[in-house]
Amino acid sequence: MKKLYTILLTAALCASCEEFQPVFTLKPEAPEYQKPVEMEVNTTIAALKDMYVANGNKPITIEDDIIVGGQVTTSDKDGNLYKSFYIQDETAGIEVKVGKNGLYNEYKLGQWVYVKCEGLTVGDYNGMIQIGYSDPSGEYETSYIEHSAIINTHVFKGPYAEPVEPVVITEAELHDKVNLGRLVTIRDLKYDDHVFILAYVDPNGDRKDYTNNGIFIDEEGPDNYGVTTWACSEQKWVEYLENGNFDSVEVGSGTVADYRQEDGSYAIGSMAYAVSQYFRMGKTDVQVRTSGYARFSDTEIPQEVLDGTATVTLTGILTEYKGASQFTLIDLDGVITADGKPWYK
Amino acid sequence: MIKKVLLTIATILLCAFTLMAQRDMGGVKGTVVNRAGRIPVAHAVITLSQDGETVASGQSGEDGKFLFEGLLNGMYAMRVEAPGFVPSNVNVTVEGYVKDLIFVSLIAEQVVAEVDDSSFSEFDMDDSGYDDTPTILFGTNDPYNDIVSFGFSNIRFKNRGYTSESQDVYLAGVRMNDAVTGYSPYSLWSGLNEATRSKETTIGNETSDYGFGGYNGVTNIHATPSSVRRGWRFSALSNSALYRLRLMATYASGELDNGWSYAFNVSARVGGNDWVKGVYYRNFAYYAGVEKKFGDAHRLSLVTFAAPGQRGAQNASTQEVYDLMGDNMYNSNWGYQNGKVRNARVRKTFEPVTMLKYTATPNEDVEAAITVLWRTGKNGYTAMDWYDAADPRPDYYRNLPSYYWVENEDYDRLNKEKYYWAKDVWEHDLPEYTHLDWDRLYNVNYNSYDDFGRLRSKYVIEERRVDQNDLNINANVKGQLGRHVSMAGGLNFRINRTEYYKKVDDLLGGEYYLNIDSFAERDFASSPAMVQNDLDYFIAHGEAKALSRGDKYGYDYYAQIRNANAWAKVDLTFGGFKANLALEGGYTTFWRDGLVRKGLFAGLDDNGNEFSYNGQVLTTYEKVNGELKPITSKGRSEAPEFYTYSAKLGLQYQFTGGHRLYANAGYFNDAPTFSQAFISPRTRNSLVPNLETVKTASADINWQYSNNGYNIRLTGFWTKIMDQTDMMSFYDDSQNSFTNFAMSGIDQRHMGIELGFSIPFFVKNLSLQGALSWGEYIYTSTPRMTQTVDNSAEVIFDNQIVPYWAASPVFKTAMINGETVYQTDANGDYIVDRWQKHYVPSTPQLAGSLGLNYRTNSYWFFELEAQYFADSYLDMNPLYRTDMAVAGPDGITTPVEVDYMTAQERFDPVFLLNASVGKSWYIDRKYNFGFSLNLQNLTNNLGVKTGGYEQTRLIDSASMERYYRFDSKYFYMQGFNYMLNLYFRF
Repeated sequence: MKKLYTILLTAALCASCEEFQPVFTLKPEAPEYQKPVEMEVNTTIAALKDMYVANGNKPITIEDDIIVGGQVTTSDKDGNLYKSFYIQDETAGIEVKVGKNGLYNEYKLGQWVYVKCEGLTVGDYNGMIQIGYSDPSGEYETSYIEHSAIINTHVFKGPYAEPVEPVVITEAELHDKVNLGRLVTIRDLKYDDHVFILAYVDPNGDRKDYTNNGIFIDEEGPDNYGVTTWACSEQKWVEYLENGNFDSVEVGSGTVADYRQEDGSYAIGSMAYAVSQYFRMGKTDVQVRTSGYARFSDTEIPQEVLDGTATVTLTGILTEYKGASQFTLIDLDGVITADGKPWYK
Repeated sequence: MIKKVLLTIATILLCAFTLMAQRDMGGVKGTVVNRAGRIPVAHAVITLSQDGETVASGQSGEDGKFLFEGLLNGMYAMRVEAPGFVPSNVNVTVEGYVKDLIFVSLIAEQVVAEVDDSSFSEFDMDDSGYDDTPTILFGTNDPYNDIVSFGFSNIRFKNRGYTSESQDVYLAGVRMNDAVTGYSPYSLWSGLNEATRSKETTIGNETSDYGFGGYNGVTNIHATPSSVRRGWRFSALSNSALYRLRLMATYASGELDNGWSYAFNVSARVGGNDWVKGVYYRNFAYYAGVEKKFGDAHRLSLVTFAAPGQRGAQNASTQEVYDLMGDNMYNSNWGYQNGKVRNARVRKTFEPVTMLKYTATPNEDVEAAITVLWRTGKNGYTAMDWYDAADPRPDYYRNLPSYYWVENEDYDRLNKEKYYWAKDVWEHDLPEYTHLDWDRLYNVNYNSYDDFGRLRSKYVIEERRVDQNDLNINANVKGQLGRHVSMAGGLNFRINRTEYYKKVDDLLGGEYYLNIDSFAERDFASSPAMVQNDLDYFIAHGEAKALSRGDKYGYDYYAQIRNANAWAKVDLTFGGFKANLALEGGYTTFWRDGLVRKGLFAGLDDNGNEFSYNGQVLTTYEKVNGELKPITSKGRSEAPEFYTYSAKLGLQYQFTGGHRLYANAGYFNDAPTFSQAFISPRTRNSLVPNLETVKTASADINWQYSNNGYNIRLTGFWTKIMDQTDMMSFYDDSQNSFTNFAMSGIDQRHMGIELGFSIPFFVKNLSLQGALSWGEYIYTSTPRMTQTVDNSAEVIFDNQIVPYWAASPVFKTAMINGETVYQTDANGDYIVDRWQKHYVPSTPQLAGSLGLNYRTNSYWFFELEAQYFADSYLDMNPLYRTDMAVAGPDGITTPVEVDYMTAQERFDPVFLLNASVGKSWYIDRKYNFGFSLNLQNLTNNLGVKTGGYEQTRLIDSASMERYYRFDSKYFYMQGFNYMLNLYFRF
């Protein structure tokens, strides 16, 4: 009998040694560092963008083995970029729409990134050519490269390198296509005292149906409506609203003031809103567009700048929206004085 | 001396001899006990016969005692039978006096009891808001419980539909249910099967000698050294459903001549299983006890035990994931690290319980005991935590094919190419996608340099701790007052302080983690003060704390609970008639004591002033009973007080011939638990509105028959539970924020019948046994809910009804041109045809078992059992039963939306087959060696849902007219599995 006992016990132990591993090892050893990918680039970013133009300015899904490479010029750490980053080589810069949060954790400033374009789609968003995935809904020309399986087979992490130096451009160069999507520095911008905000009326509080409830707070109105921050978070929006900043803005057949309720609150959707603050570079308007979800959205633009007694020099990504120059800050380190001192520390 | 013995002796045959000379006559007396633990066996049928003719018969009393007098001198064959025990035959010689046999011990018939309750699956779903602790019934020599306690545990059967909290579990007379949640505390002594084997159980509304109990029975585990089965005992158990191996050793001295008894029990449970990868055990357990009897009247015992260890947990996934993997046992909690399986969800516990018990028996009729019991230690549960990085969970909905393409275009998921990408990696089970990708997470941390060149972890393992300090003082007394009256009563005091906090368990290759609230940061990224988990630290140091391994972070608070109660019961016995009445009164109070100041809810400073940082006022307010009060996270909350009272009545009549008819009724008033009382205890002191006691009315009627090997019980029960509250927190897509959802006024009704039987079946030693539980457990009220934003305490819905909670309307339809059309009345309103009830979930409302049991005189046993389970329902989420979710973004409710959103899923019926075999060998009457082999789910049915839950999330439709649900998540029962137990004792 004891034999049976021993045999069964031993059998039970050995039949399944693998499953005892976590029991005794408890914690496996730390994984190794992943090595950067080495890849042969065969196309420049400018050439890739040209393919869109050559396709009659229509989205093109790449069928050839095209590999572009560039260094990462943006970070989503401060939240002004979301689910995408820009890469740039000597010829141009382009937005890569990798649809994940916290991309800066895996794609570092200056790091080389290779994009194997076969199967991806190059498309346009209001003047900016991007690389993403096809969008069968037709709503946009590209959609996010979202699923990890697509990302891991198309976007490769190369070696780390020093961050890219921004190109200093002149007013005349603002509309050079080659500069769009590039990390640039633009000097001596004067505050232009205009804002543009697309906000939403939300009388029933369902936070839905934005399409019919948009209100435009724009440059037609008085000055900057007292919006002195780069953008506004939800709380900042409520603060501006309840302060009466937008009371004169037209909405439907009336004005925002009509939505004021007895307790001083407004029956208007409170969300974080992106703000375009207008600056002037010489005679050209540059809209500095900042997301309401950016960490610095509620940061005040320096008073001297608002007063017009000082200018700012900005470093970020030059973009275009339907022909108008726009500018995307990556963080507030990209905001300095005319003589090169940081405005923010 | 008052005879405690209540004999119903039929001595008709003896009457003829009463005139005979005294010295020619004698008697026999004794106590029938269960060999395991010497627990008295009541109602054992004792038959004395000479030459095959019955001379006298009777039953043992409640205390197991029996007495026969007036027996002619001579040899008698005494047969003792009791349901659930192997009949015992003893030869007795009567020699002119009443011979005291002292103990007549019976061996429990249930050799299957070797397949013991250690095999109950221990699932923890607290993270998903899903309580899946199975109700544990204990074998009680009740034909129903004996079958259900083990046989129904795999399907997660909840007796009578009741939750685990309703089952009162006592240890040495102290109620052990968790002070914070009410859960039965089974895991405290799991693995100590021998030390806790000796127990007494009542069913339903029955009162016990140990405590008042509720409507779902009382189990008292004796746990004293003298109650542990005497001798050595070793066992080795292997099973394929939970852990591979259990080794156990036990020794108990029994009571030695010098009055000492001592006992110990140790065990180890280790390994994985055949079905769920990542689930493993590394659990140990110890029990040590010593007891001393002083004279005849005093007894002191000291016991300590714990079940330290850790085990990997399982997680529920959607059917889509299971189908893609081709495996309903898929577990998303683990991944490969350096090629080895690592589970992110590990429960780590070490909660020693120490108890000192003094028992006094000044005379045979009175027993009093005082017990002091202290539970302490740590209870941890690890989980992934991450900051500003991609969600690492493999079955996160954006990683699944259905996120990219759904046939119904209204889902606005149109990208079929991406769908195929996602489908491909799942179907090929590429581990970096289908499981946690530890290598990637480490590499993110390896490269996460901050401005000072230190590695700030983005992914960490956190350990959520629930550390209890639970002190109980309990006094109990029971006694016999005269022939007809016995009484019992007790006093209990409980002080519980449970600390809830998180600590960093593993930095996964990084150097530190920051103590900030990443959820708050979603909404308040621009306010450095509001995102602080520990605002005081931030203000003192100018930055959030950089956390090292082992540091506390996130939240930290005490749940403080004080409870006192007193109860008493009286039993009256007149012949076969018995009645008992029990009353209880109690007082409960609790409060939250926040140990850190959270940036979101700074409250007032020490001087009672508003809190501000950089000119921003951080103090916020909420309305409590119409009054504006600051919302606080640090310090004491309000302490609601509850006075409770309960009463029970039981009536019983014992007919001759083994029939017993009895009925019980009770009304209970229970304080809500701490866990139901705070809106968001992690972050603030706010109490759930409308907090009140839970009222329960319950009644049952029972018929039991035990005789000649027949053992049958039939019960009808009815219970109504009223004014329950429930608290949950979830991400609400309609609000784009994490919200708290407090629901109050939940009523439910449980009614049904219960049948258990074990009857001889044609062949000798063959019996047919079965159990049936057939009930209707439904929700009966329309509860109210208050929903708040977790980050701001902003009220979204204030005391609104949840109209589709208890039932959903079924609209009248007609087929017109092959299409289903909802019919309307003259006013154009849709016609409600009937209301579909909603059911208390996660247990079959119809459960049946039928089996054959054969045992030989050479100690073999064979058992074959067929089971049928039906009418089990999925746990509902209340959000889907609100007007808001049903109507959709357009605010218009249509019958299609009502049908879709409010319906409750019913699981398919299940048929299962199980078998057992076992054998015992006795060597030299001293050594006992045996095995039992239990085979579950012989047909390898892999489609048995045991539970799950609805996700609380909503999908916007392209049409903006309605919402769609996220897929529900399920747990499945394991396929074919075995349990082999080998034991040796002497």
